[in-house]
Amino acid sequence: MKNSMTASIALIRDTFREAFARKIFWGLFGLSTLMILFFLFLLRIDLVEGGLAAVKMFGQTMSPATDVDRLVRGVYGGIATFLYTWGMFLAVFASAGLIPSVLEPGRIELLLSKPVSRTHILLGRYVGNVLVVSCNIIYLVLGVWIILGLKTGIWSPMFLISIATTIFAFAVLLSVVILIGVLFESAALATMVVAALMIMSLVLAQISVMLRLLSSEWSRQIWRTLYYTLPKMYDLGKMTLDAIRSRTFDGFMPIWTSALFAVVVLGCSLVIFARRDF
Amino acid sequence: MAKVYRSMWKRREVRAVDGISLKVPRGTTFGLLGPNGAGKTTFVKMLLSAVHPTRGSALIFGRDARHPEARRPIGYLPENHRFPTYFTGAGMLDFYASLSGVESPQRRKLIPELLELVGLEQWGSVRIGKYSKGMLQRLGLAQALIHSPSMLILDEPTDGVDPVGRRQIRDVLTRFEEQGVTIFINSHLLVEVELFCREVAILDKGKVALSGKMHDLTAGKGYRLTVAEAPEVLVEQLRATATSMASRNGFVDFQFATRQSANEAVDLLRAEHCEIESLAPTTSTLEEIFVRTVAK
Repeated sequence: MKNSMTASIALIRDTFREAFARKIFWGLFGLSTLMILFFLFLLRIDLVEGGLAAVKMFGQTMSPATDVDRLVRGVYGGIATFLYTWGMFLAVFASAGLIPSVLEPGRIELLLSKPVSRTHILLGRYVGNVLVVSCNIIYLVLGVWIILGLKTGIWSPMFLISIATTIFAFAVLLSVVILIGVLFESAALATMVVAALMIMSLVLAQISVMLRLLSSEWSRQIWRTLYYTLPKMYDLGKMTLDAIRSRTFDGFMPIWTSALFAVVVLGCSLVIFARRDF
Repeated sequence: MAKVYRSMWKRREVRAVDGISLKVPRGTTFGLLGPNGAGKTTFVKMLLSAVHPTRGSALIFGRDARHPEARRPIGYLPENHRFPTYFTGAGMLDFYASLSGVESPQRRKLIPELLELVGLEQWGSVRIGKYSKGMLQRLGLAQALIHSPSMLILDEPTDGVDPVGRRQIRDVLTRFEEQGVTIFINSHLLVEVELFCREVAILDKGKVALSGKMHDLTAGKGYRLTVAEAPEVLVEQLRATATSMASRNGFVDFQFATRQSANEAVDLLRAEHCEIESLAPTTSTLEEIFVRTVAK
């Protein structure tokens, strides 16, 4: 047990070390810092009678007077949307190389010669990768939350939910990166597949409209199958936005079906990795 | 053990390892030899479970090699290793020691000791991207030794190392051999293997073509007597009992099949006050044995 823990920590630390060396961590950190600095210095919010605000960006008045609470929730929503679209894509793009690199000939043999199971090695890499991205998500969301809280006096804890949901969404997509990495050792292909899944989730999420428009039952069935099987990035993002805006949402189905998808894909990756010759 | 690689549509088969059965006694130094493509590396990878055998299994100190715990007593140095260049020498040792379950205080103690042992004590804090091939090889050896293994599996351990470095590696291995560590070397360098290994196996086309104790394989098949000067009559008399005779640079070499015939020849020569240059058992070099075995 103790040996296992030492090995797990070593594998996670190794992922961080590689993320630092490949400038992945610092790239994401730099981007988060830029956003935080933007909210710190360039976005000025002048409170009027405690409830209304004038928003100035680069010294120019953007919105003369608006409800502060609405404004803050709007900013939070914008950041959550950024995290679920560009942020997620950047995180996957940056992380995709961390799996093939560990499978390089001359490196993997040495790892496999250690008294650590293949499952342990792959999960160690997976968890390490999730933690690298989590650090940046926490840094960005907490940073913006504190700055906006200090500037407006509004401390909306619901925005912090986006930390958990964004990390969860990344963990789901990373399972696909792991599978592609184990199968084809290609970072580019992994990124392409994830991008396709993100776009598909947006399209498939229009399920209620499509079920009405599609004429044949089998095409409706295909749509349903794809919708319920594939990860629901769009729905997860929408749920986060609804939570930030204190709106209700239609159940937790997008969470548990996406989690199930990740478990199945990760399970397949582990089986394939365990059977491969290196 | 056997390993058969099949193409995707199973039309073509490559038998990388074709029924190898080997037993390496505990505490011995074992050399695995063979031409390129003989199946040496595949065999070693099967021992480490990096490659799954199509047939058969391996036991390491009585434990199924497929179990991760069976690999705990093994220190491995792969051929063509690619250590991540973001590591420093000490950082790399720390990482692999952690994977082997070595606790932090022990790692702090062992890492400087091992860096010194392989002559890299000044390089511990330098990124390994700046290391030469020979330095990487020595660092790789330190990595294999970091958790005090009972068995070392070394794939081309002196590859790219200069003669001084090779000597240093051999000295380190001798030290561990004396401590009872089983050493399994996979190498092309026959001289290295002959100098160091007690037992040897030669693989060819995925099979064991020859195996045995080094001493037995290279042992004398007779005696060679070299004489400085001898009367013509005596030379002719010795030629009758010798299996072969050759003259070179004023010396005459006689080859005798038995110790007795060699001793009788010495008696005859000394009775005639002839000068004997040397008398030694005839041995084969490992290279001769290797070429003979593989050429069959």
